[in-house]
Amino acid sequence: MRRKAWFLAAGLLLVASVAMAASVKVITQQAVIRKDKRFFAPPVVTVPYGEVMQELAREGDWLRVQYRGNQGWIHVSAVQEQKVELSSLMKSKAKETSQDEVALAGKGFTPEVEKAFRAKNPQMKYDLVDRIEGYRVSMEEVHLFVRDGWLREPGGAS
Amino acid sequence: MITRSSLMMVVSLGVLVLAGCAHVVEVGTTAAHQAGVITKQEKDYYDRRAQETESAVRPMTDREEYYVGRAVAATVLGQYRLYRDDRLNLYLNQVGQALALASDRPLTYGGYHFAVLDSDEVNALACPGGTILITRGMLDRARNEEELAAILAHEIAHVNHKDGVNAIQRSRWVQAATALGADAARQLGRGQLDELASVFEGSVGDVVKTLLVNGYSRADELAADQSAMIIMVRLGYDPHGLTDYLARLAQEQGAGARQGFFATHPGMGDRLADARATINANKWQQVNHQVRDERFAAYRR
Repeated sequence: MRRKAWFLAAGLLLVASVAMAASVKVITQQAVIRKDKRFFAPPVVTVPYGEVMQELAREGDWLRVQYRGNQGWIHVSAVQEQKVELSSLMKSKAKETSQDEVALAGKGFTPEVEKAFRAKNPQMKYDLVDRIEGYRVSMEEVHLFVRDGWLREPGGAS
Repeated sequence: MITRSSLMMVVSLGVLVLAGCAHVVEVGTTAAHQAGVITKQEKDYYDRRAQETESAVRPMTDREEYYVGRAVAATVLGQYRLYRDDRLNLYLNQVGQALALASDRPLTYGGYHFAVLDSDEVNALACPGGTILITRGMLDRARNEEELAAILAHEIAHVNHKDGVNAIQRSRWVQAATALGADAARQLGRGQLDELASVFEGSVGDVVKTLLVNGYSRADELAADQSAMIIMVRLGYDPHGLTDYLARLAQEQGAGARQGFFATHPGMGDRLADARATINANKWQQVNHQVRDERFAAYRR
C-alpha cells in the first residue's frame, strides 16, 4: 500500500516535471538576457549559441528565463522551444522524421561546409563579408538614435 | 477597389507571415474567394505559394541560413566594390538596426548588417540571414531619412519572409539528404563533405540568381512593401517615405530605365498604387519628420 502510493507520487512528479520544465535553446550566435522585457533594457548576461535555459514565463514576444542562476527576459526570436524529451523516451518520433529533416537538423550547412566551399572557391570575397559583419551598433547607440530622432522604442512588450 | 486591395494585402501578407502554416492561408483564401474578393485563379495561386513556402522553409535552420547568406554576400561582393565611408556606414546601420528591431524577426543568427556597394546603378540586395547591401545609386535617390528607412525596411522584410532561401530549389534538399545518408549523428566523411559543399554551392547559386537576375515574384515584392510600411509605422517613421521613393523610381522606369533594379523590379507603378492603397486603407497620416530630415542632411553632406 505504501509502496503503491510512493510509485504514484513518483509518477506524478515525473509528469509534472516534464510538463513544467519548458526549456528553450539559443539559436543566435549570441543572445542577451535583459533585465526587463525591452531591447533597450540593461543586459543581465550574454549566452552563446546552443545553450539551453529554463523558461519561467511568457509575455508577448518576451520570455522570462533562468540561466545559470541569472534571471531575466529574452526575445523569442533568439530562442527555439526545446522539444519535450518525452517523445525520445518513447522512441516514437525518430522513425517519423523525414530524411530531409534529418539531413538539415544541425548537420546541413555548417562551418565545415563553408570551409570546404571556400577551399573550392578561393576567389570569394569572404574578407569583405567579415568586415561587413563587423559593422555593429550597440543597443545603447540604437536607443539614443531612436530617441534623438523622435522615434518609438521598438519591440516593447506593450 | 480599396477593400479589394486591402484584402489582397491581408492574403499576400498572410502567405508570408504564416509561412509554415499553409492550411491557415488556405482557410483565408477560401473565405476571400467565397466573399468574391479574389478569383479562383488568385486563390489557387496563393494556396500554391503557401505550400511551396512551407516545404522550402522548414528544413533550413537560422544558422544554416546565415552560412548561405555569407556565401551569397561573398559572391555579390565579387561583382561590386564595397563603398567605404565610416560615417555613412554608421548612419545606415543605426537606421537599419532600429528598423530590424521593429520587424517580425528582430534577431537572427548573425544579426543585421548594412553596407553600401560602390555603384551608380539602383539596387538593394537582402542576403539571407540579414546582411543587406545597397548601391550608392539607390542611396543617392533617397531624399530624407524616411525614404532611406523605406528602402532598408523593404530589404529587412525580405529577410523576415525568407524570400532569399525560398529561392533555393527543393531538389537541393533531396541531394543534401542523400549526401548525408540516414545517420545524421555520424561524423561526416570526406566525400560527404564535398557532396554537401556542392549542394551548398548550388543553393547559393539559386539565391544569387534570384537576387541579381530573376528578381522575386511580384507577390513577394508587394508583401515586402506591406511589411516595410508596418515596420516603419511601428517605429514612428512616415510610411509615405515608401510611396515618395517608389514614385521617383516609377517615374525613372517610365522614362525608360531598364538596368539592374529596374530589370529585377518590373511594375514599379503597380507597387506604388498598392502601397498608396494600403496607406489609405490604414488611414496612416503624414508624420512630422523635420528632426530626422536635419540629421539625414547632416550625414549626407
